[in-house]
Parts: sequence; structure tokens; C-alpha cells
Amino acid sequence: MKITRRDFLKTTALTSLYFAGYGGQTYASSKKKKNLVIIMLRGGMDGLCAIPIKGDKNFEKLRSKINLDRTLKLTSDFDLHPALKTFKNLWDQNQSAAVHATNIPYTGRSHFDGQNLMESGGKIPYQEKTGWLGRGMKIAGLTGNGLALALPMPLLIRGVPMNNNYFPVGYKLPYPQTLKMIQDAYKEYDEQLLSENLEIIQTREFSNTASDHSWVLASNAANELSKPDGPSVAVFEVDGFDTHAAQGATDGAHADCLRDCDNIFRSLKSSMSEEAFNNTLILTLTEFGRTIKQNSSNGTEHGYGSAILMAGGLVKKAQVHTDWPGLKKKELFEGRDLNSTIDSRAIYASAMSTVFDVDFKKISKEVFWGENLQNLSNKLFKV
Amino acid sequence: MKNFFRKVAYGIGPNEDIPSDPLNWALNQVDEIPDFSWKGKIYSEKELRKHYRDWVYGDRKVLRKKYKDNKTLYKTHKDILRHKTGQKFWESLEISIRHNEGINSNHPVLAKLWMFWGNFFAISEKDFLANYSTGAYQREIIRPNLNQSFEKMVYDVTTSWAMIHHLDNSESAGPKSVTAGEEWRRRKKEPATINENHGRELLELHTVSPKAGYTQEDVIQLAYIMTGWQHRWSKQNLETGNVWFNSEYHQRGKKTVLGKEYKRGKKALAAVIKDLVNHPNCRDFVSERLCRYLITDEPTKDMKQPIIDAFKKSDGHLPEIHKAAIKVAFDYNDKFKKFQTPENWFIQVAKLGDLEWPPSPESMDSFELGVKPTKKQRSPERLLRNIGQHPYRAKQPNGWSDHSDDWISPELLIRRLVYAKLSHSFSKMQNNNEMYYQNIVEKNFDNPDKIMKYLNQKSRIVEKQTLLFNHPEFLRS
Repeated sequence: MKITRRDFLKTTALTSLYFAGYGGQTYASSKKKKNLVIIMLRGGMDGLCAIPIKGDKNFEKLRSKINLDRTLKLTSDFDLHPALKTFKNLWDQNQSAAVHATNIPYTGRSHFDGQNLMESGGKIPYQEKTGWLGRGMKIAGLTGNGLALALPMPLLIRGVPMNNNYFPVGYKLPYPQTLKMIQDAYKEYDEQLLSENLEIIQTREFSNTASDHSWVLASNAANELSKPDGPSVAVFEVDGFDTHAAQGATDGAHADCLRDCDNIFRSLKSSMSEEAFNNTLILTLTEFGRTIKQNSSNGTEHGYGSAILMAGGLVKKAQVHTDWPGLKKKELFEGRDLNSTIDSRAIYASAMSTVFDVDFKKISKEVFWGENLQNLSNKLFKV
Repeated sequence: MKNFFRKVAYGIGPNEDIPSDPLNWALNQVDEIPDFSWKGKIYSEKELRKHYRDWVYGDRKVLRKKYKDNKTLYKTHKDILRHKTGQKFWESLEISIRHNEGINSNHPVLAKLWMFWGNFFAISEKDFLANYSTGAYQREIIRPNLNQSFEKMVYDVTTSWAMIHHLDNSESAGPKSVTAGEEWRRRKKEPATINENHGRELLELHTVSPKAGYTQEDVIQLAYIMTGWQHRWSKQNLETGNVWFNSEYHQRGKKTVLGKEYKRGKKALAAVIKDLVNHPNCRDFVSERLCRYLITDEPTKDMKQPIIDAFKKSDGHLPEIHKAAIKVAFDYNDKFKKFQTPENWFIQVAKLGDLEWPPSPESMDSFELGVKPTKKQRSPERLLRNIGQHPYRAKQPNGWSDHSDDWISPELLIRRLVYAKLSHSFSKMQNNNEMYYQNIVEKNFDNPDKIMKYLNQKSRIVEKQTLLFNHPEFLRS
């Protein structure tokens, strides 16, 4: 099958996406707690490895060594990497979807600048000291509602006080009385951030002696997210997507990373209450995609456009949303990368608007400094 | 004032005297590179790379074939091979050597700077580099260069086996090179392409930083200059051969980086590095990083300027750069107190606490190849992972962050609470008394009475140590 951009748009339900403008606004109407989970895929996730286009001879040729020999079926135009089994199960229940050919508007191809920007939502690397998710939570009044399943506190969720993180060490804490003395010293020295963090440590119920496997973390997070008074935002990290060499195909380095991501989907789905999962939105986030063409080490280089995987009960329907830019040389970004035709910040802004019940315009104004982002809430999510 | 000893080093141990002239005490430590103070065995990078070779060769070429139909046997023999090649031991030995420089040597200031540069030119977690190679790279490439020029440091780092492997430069082949026209490439459909990874990081992380405003084309051109610098591949040694310049992979023709032209050939790398290290943004970047490491998250222009000047005046002679940085740290000592990263914090815990740390040379030397190392022999690796900063396992090539906020989260604080508490189990019996704490507190704090009052809220050592090592004045210096 040979797809042109025009043909593709005809066969895709999202033709209207580009004409959506500011759709229906969302207002706080429901008392139900809604959750937003972001999985950061570090290193540059190859959207075309996760969700390869079908029947593009040119693509197959450019990736002769790393083409998938086995895939799961998604749509008439796209397949799915076989490592994403849970994603496929959710797809079959209309609980997962994807946006393809999307990225943050950053084209510099540096991991560090790119990851900084994917988390800050800004345009100049290292300029912002808070993350778009943290700022969104602040507007929504979600203080003390964030949980990062990581050892450091990711920039993404900074900007709102009292976030928690969980990554158990396996040893017991000092006695509460000792902690109180340390807390007093922090206060005396005006160490506000240390003091806040110690307060969280003193009041939380997590076991410090559990394991730190990502599926265990996800399972713990799932329990917390299911609690009516538990956190409503969680952040995961999956490393290792930077496959310059031996990217592999069905099995291989990229497949392992996708499997890690899928395990998080699986744990969240299986450990959350049904009601909580139905009111949850899970989105992936990466700094950039990878080059179309494999390099001589059967890997790929830093690129531009990638894909976002979405799951949870708040996903509108199983669909690959895209304004497909094509993979002919002239259609590629700088002649080498999948282009990004949808600004991924619009997706994240829409997700926050939907989950946090905050007006989209307010999010785009206050979180993204008034950038002209499209409200995709109605197209992508159950609002 | 006493926090200066922890700002540029690791504090004053219980058996050390307080230097009468702190500034000169620090300045005098950076001209010479003394032998390691570690009394146990130290292995050469080449020897360790040989073990790396035995591991990759044994696994890839022998075990995977031999046990392709039996997963269990494959796993068993792989574990045997791990221990035969010391896979679970070397990094703990390297950390021991490293920490010993901070704790038991008479040049702890040099040690703290060594750790800075190891992280500046970080080898992040990739393949089995941390297990076999990264510690040795920091010992043999970074440390001997601490009294050389920045230019030589960059060149040695760039052509080191560890960095070449880490940033994939062996995979880079000029599209206009001899190898590009080889018959096998046509047959196997493997055209020669560049791998930009190393070229990009040489600009971004190792020299001028993105502030220099280079373009994608500059990255590509630098990658072209670097084509040919690769490990010498052989059937026997696979990717573990020495780094050499393979002219067959080198891109033909002239290249232009940041507006300057370079001729083809081996010498172009040295030429471009010379220009990069002399770029104003490089001096600014190095100064900023040093200030951020030693002084504050937000270095000011005034702070950076003396270091930039020293860099310029000395043509990048690292001891002069270091002395300028130490002086600035001294001048700003009372005004700015830097939140210490977990590893620097723990070395200070070990020094002030007079802990049995690192494990003794005897216990490390009792390791035998082929035998699983003991829990004690593996403890350095485990400890650093647990406190959240393992120097050979940074997540990315930009190394570990020097920003305080990156080290404050409930979980990271838990690690300090837990390890301050556990430090008790490394304590020496003879230190179990009030006098001991009085001694170290007086040597390391300007307000010993206040700190002692805080410690005396508790009587057991385990709690005293938990309190002391989490006190705000200890966390910052």
C-alpha cells in the first residue's frame, strides 16, 4: 500500500483535527478523582519502531536491518511493535490510542537540551526551573498530589510543592523522634525544600523495604492512584531508548525499552481499581524520535518526530491520530527525520485540561506562556 | 570558615590538624599528581580491558553458541564467566581507590577536583563499561591530566578507548572515504554513514557548550573530522582493541567547524580541539561548571571571571584554573554554601565519622578471579547506587547534575537518613564516646557548641550520627 498524505487524511478519522480550534471547554463538574500518568521515555523513542507504517517500501528499504519481522495489528495503516502487548489489549478495549508524527517543537537533536525542554515545556534549554506538569498541577491546586517513581524528583513535576517520590531502598528509616529533631534543624536554618520533603517522608505509608522493579513501582503507584485521597499525578521514567547501535527489531535494545514501558501499562491496569483506571490517562513523553534510516551499526540517530502512546479509561477511542507527513525524502524534516505535524505540547495541555478540569486556555496561557496551542481534548480524550 | 575544608575537600578527620592557612593548604595540593594513597593492588586499564574482552568474547562467541538450546545452562555458564572476569568486583575496587584519595590521602582537594573532571567527561552507564573500564579510565586518563592543559585533557579523553566506545565513534564511517566504496558494503547493503554522537558531545559537553551557537552542520563536520578514530577491531579482541586512526574510514576533503577550515587526516582532530578549547564559550563553560560544583547553583559573572582569566593567561593549564577556582571558593566561602551531592556527602560522612571505609586493601586484595566477590568486596558499588550517585553509572553522557534541586526529593533524603544511620555499623569501637564527637565538631564547624547541643539530644551513636550527618550545616559547605 502506498500512502500519500492526502490519501491518508481521507482514510483517517482525524482529518478535522487540524481545524479543531478551541473546542468545548471543560469545567469542573465531576466529583470523581481523575489521574494523569506520564511515562518519560529517555533517549529518544523511535516512534516508527513502536508504531511502524505499513506498506511503505521506501521505509522498509531504509530499515532493512531493523525492520520488524513480527508485528501486532493496529489499523489499516499502522502496526504495533510486538513488545507492546498490554497496549494492544487495551487497544482492543478502546482504552489505548496513539498520536503519531508529533513532538515538542525542538529540533536541536541533543538529548540533554531535548529532555530538559520536554520536561520544562519551554523553548530555551535550562531556562525554566519548573516542569509543565508541575505548573499545570499548581494551577489546578494539586499541591501534594504528585508522585514520581524515581530517585530524583524529575523537572517535569517540579513547580508545585510537596510532591512525593518512591523508589524503595530496602532499609528502615530512623526513629520518628530523630526525624523530628532533624526537621527542627531544617526549619531553624530555613531549609524549606528539605523541610517539605522530610515532612512527606514522615507522613507517608510506603514501605522502604520493598523492591524497585518498575512493575512493582507501578503496582504501588496504582494502589495510591486508586485511593480517593491519594496522589492524582504519577511520573515514571524508562531509560535506554538511545539506540545508536544494535537497535534490534522484534527483539533488541529498543524492544526491551518498549517492553519496560508496556510493563508499566500492565501493572497500572492490573493493580488499579476499575473505577480508577477508567478515570485515568496515561501518556508517554520523549525528547525526539529517531532517523528514518538505519546507520551502519544497525542503530538510528537522533531525529525529530516521534509518537505518543496513550492509555487509560479517559482515552476517547482506539485510534492512531496523525496528520501523516510522509516519508519521502522531501517530506522528511531536514531530509532525514519523520516530521512533527502536531505540536505535542497541545496534547499534554489537552490532557491536563481534561484530567485537571481546568480551562484549556488557562493552561495554554499559564503553563505554556500563551503559546498558540490547539485544544485537542475533544478529539483525543473523554471530556 | 571551617566549611571551606568541606567545600573544596572532605573536611578534617579526627586525627588531622586544622591547617593554619586554609587557602594555601588547598592551593598547594593541585600542582603535583602524587601516587595513589591506596595500599592495595591497582590494575591497569589495559588489564581490565582484557577482562572486558574475555567477557564479551566468551559470552558472544562461545556461550551463546554452545548453549543456544539450553537457557539454564547458558545462564549458569554466563555467571561463571562473570566471576572469572571479575565483573562484580572491579568497580568496587575502583571506588575504594577513589574514596581513599578523599579520605586518607594528603591531597583531598585534588581528589575532589579529580571527581569533578571524571563527571565532566563522564562515561555514563553503557554496556559493561562501569564493570570493567570507567574507574580505570578516570584513573589513567583523567587524573594524570589534572596538572596538564585542558587541551591535552580533551584530546586524551576524546581518543581514549572508553570514550570512543561510550559515544560510538567506532561506528562512524565517512560517506566519502575508502571504506565507503568497498565491495562488501554494496553486497551487505551497509553504506558508510557517520555517527554524530561523539562529535556532538565533544562540542556540547566537553568544550564549547550549546551557548557557542554551533549548528547541525558544525556537528556533522566535526563528526567527519572524527571519522577514523576507532577501536582496532579484530576477531580475537572484538571491540576491545586499542584506539587508532583508521584512515580508510576518514572522510575525504576539507571540513569546516565554527567557520574554520580543517584539512583531512589524523592531525585535524588535534587542530579542531585546539580551536575549541580556545573558544571563549569553552572558558566560560568550564568556569561555570567549576563554580557550580564548588560554590553555588547560580554562578555569577564576577565569580567566573577570575577563572576565565586564569584559563586564558595560562593557556588552559589546569593547576592554574584550579587555583583560581579555589580562590574564588575561598572568597565566597561564607556567602554561598553548596548543597553537597550524595557521593561527596558520603565521603565526608566517612571522613568525619572515621568509618571503616573504604573496605581495607587487605579485604579487597583477597578477591580471587573465578570466585564470587564477598558482600564486603561489593559494598562500595552497592552503597553508591543506593545513595543515588554512582560515579561510573550516570544515566547520560552529561554526567551527574551539579544542581542542588536535582538532589532533593523525599527518596533521596531517605537515602541520606538511612545511610547516616547505617554509618554506625562502619564505626570504630574506640570512637564510641563524647570526646570523639567534640573533636570532629570542633574541627569542622564554626559553632561547635550549638552543634554539640543538637547532637546531645540523643545518647546512642547511631542516633548521633543520623543527626550530625543530616544537619543543614553538614549537608552544605
